[in-house]
Amino acid sequence: MNTDPNIAEPDAFYEAWVAAHEGLSDADSAELDARLVLLLANQVGDLKVLLDCIAAARRAAG
Amino acid sequence: MAAAEVWKFAPAYELPSWPHVRAPDLDARERLRYPVVIAGGGLSGLTLACDLLLRGVAVVVLDEDDTVGVRGASSRGICYAQKSLEIFARLGIYERIRAKGITWSVGRTFSGADEIYSFDLEDDSRSEQPPFINLQQFYLEWFLVDRIRELDEGAIRWKTKVVRVEHDSCGAVVHVETPAGAYALEADWLVDATGANSRIRDALGVDAHASRHTDRWCISDVRFKKPLPVERWTWIDAPFNEGRGVWQHLMADAVWRLDYQMGEHADPESISKPEVAGARLREQLGPDVEFEFVWIGPYQYRDHLLETFRVGRTVFVGDAAHVVCPFGARGGNNGIQDAGNLGWKLALVVAGEGGESLVDSYHVERHAAAVENLRITSRTARFLAPRSAAEHRLRRAVVALARTHAFARKLANTGRMAQANDYPPSRWAPAGARSLQNVTVDATTVMALLADGTRFAGLWIGGSDRDVASLADVTRRLPFAARAVPAEGALAAHLHAAPGTLVLVRPDAYVAATIAQPTPDRVEAALRCALALDAEER
Repeated sequence: MNTDPNIAEPDAFYEAWVAAHEGLSDADSAELDARLVLLLANQVGDLKVLLDCIAAARRAAG
Repeated sequence: MAAAEVWKFAPAYELPSWPHVRAPDLDARERLRYPVVIAGGGLSGLTLACDLLLRGVAVVVLDEDDTVGVRGASSRGICYAQKSLEIFARLGIYERIRAKGITWSVGRTFSGADEIYSFDLEDDSRSEQPPFINLQQFYLEWFLVDRIRELDEGAIRWKTKVVRVEHDSCGAVVHVETPAGAYALEADWLVDATGANSRIRDALGVDAHASRHTDRWCISDVRFKKPLPVERWTWIDAPFNEGRGVWQHLMADAVWRLDYQMGEHADPESISKPEVAGARLREQLGPDVEFEFVWIGPYQYRDHLLETFRVGRTVFVGDAAHVVCPFGARGGNNGIQDAGNLGWKLALVVAGEGGESLVDSYHVERHAAAVENLRITSRTARFLAPRSAAEHRLRRAVVALARTHAFARKLANTGRMAQANDYPPSRWAPAGARSLQNVTVDATTVMALLADGTRFAGLWIGGSDRDVASLADVTRRLPFAARAVPAEGALAAHLHAAPGTLVLVRPDAYVAATIAQPTPDRVEAALRCALALDAEER
């Protein structure tokens, strides 16, 4: 799992991510993020990396 | 039970004022005409006036007031970026700024009690000037006024209010009212530096495309004895401000600027009451720290951007042209850099050494910079003020991952500090133009090299005296001076320039062109392009 900076333009990505949620209900926003996770997971492909990411996301919960 | 706390206020800053002097125009038989008239004596107007005077252009500045700063307000801008400081080095006021101000380069961002990310701007600095100096804006304006008066005591006309402007294709007639009477002056070029609420702009019918943000903040400028690091600290969600943002930054005279994000529907009057602001400070500083207020000021930010920075012979600079959210210090610094871009162009146009379309290149370059600054600051504003539960969730995800993972730190955004914007390719700069830092060259610096008149510098990397002499003819005919610089030095490294190339540097220390195999013809062609001397279509 790569946790070093790898997103080309972080601020542009965040802006687009936020914009995608604009005008959605809270439930629809959660659905959007779930679809987004699946699309991104398919870009990653490697199961070991995906499992590491799932574990890291669990660990980071406040 | 503790007695109610008594809130102390520091005495007001003592600002200088300058006398109104009867204008010669009132006693002239005909209307007087000036090459450049600048309306407005704020940061951008004063910087431009100082720049033009040093370039030998007679200028008149019209200011409604007789002092610096905004009456009733303590300070507006506080952070001055490297490019601005380099301009001030050339104008001759940098040493005063450095002596009075607070030099810093480190910023830290916190969530709750944890540091999320930090930066040190010194890492990318090769300049004689530091990345940033903090200083109350009125001090900077004060130093500029002193310097302008040294150069031309009567250049600034105090208590002179612009009431009407007439425009035509060769200039403007500016009608003013003064304590000694009303008069009109003619300008070949009128520069509108009257700020965000420009009436000149409105009278010309130029749309500002303004929008107002709902995010509210309240500044407390405070003096206290608690020793804190001289760094820019920001909290995304401070425990001592009900989970909202806080900014903490030191200015001159040991005054801290503490800026608190407020609830969207907070009432500006009640959040700025001394007892309310004092309670916030007490929460942040702890029970035993003595402090005194210097100023309390609630605000909402807004933005606007003109479609064009030039209408006929009227040019807009600073807040009259563009306003962005305050995050990252991209307001005042860009007003100063507007002046740095426009000064040499107007000077060369007025002297007949540059084509008039150079003033269009001011619009092209500085408008592009303003678009970039607006985009960057809007992203920060959006990060700091999520608009829905979903947006809060995205931000919480960033912050949670940023505690352990470097990649997520890049997404946390409490401001991207002002830098000299790159300029896009244009007919005056076919490869675009990027700023050169004030690097040391031999025993001098880039800005010192550019301080002599208004000339381009041709830096011949690893060149010889004979190489430089081969350009003597170009030097005679165009505003240009060539110089050999060591192929191994700091400047060549900063330029990423290979030995044998000639780097053409504009008077504003932007690289206009890099010429791989310099010949007099190639250098002249690049210069004529950058000076708008070819194909004047206007």
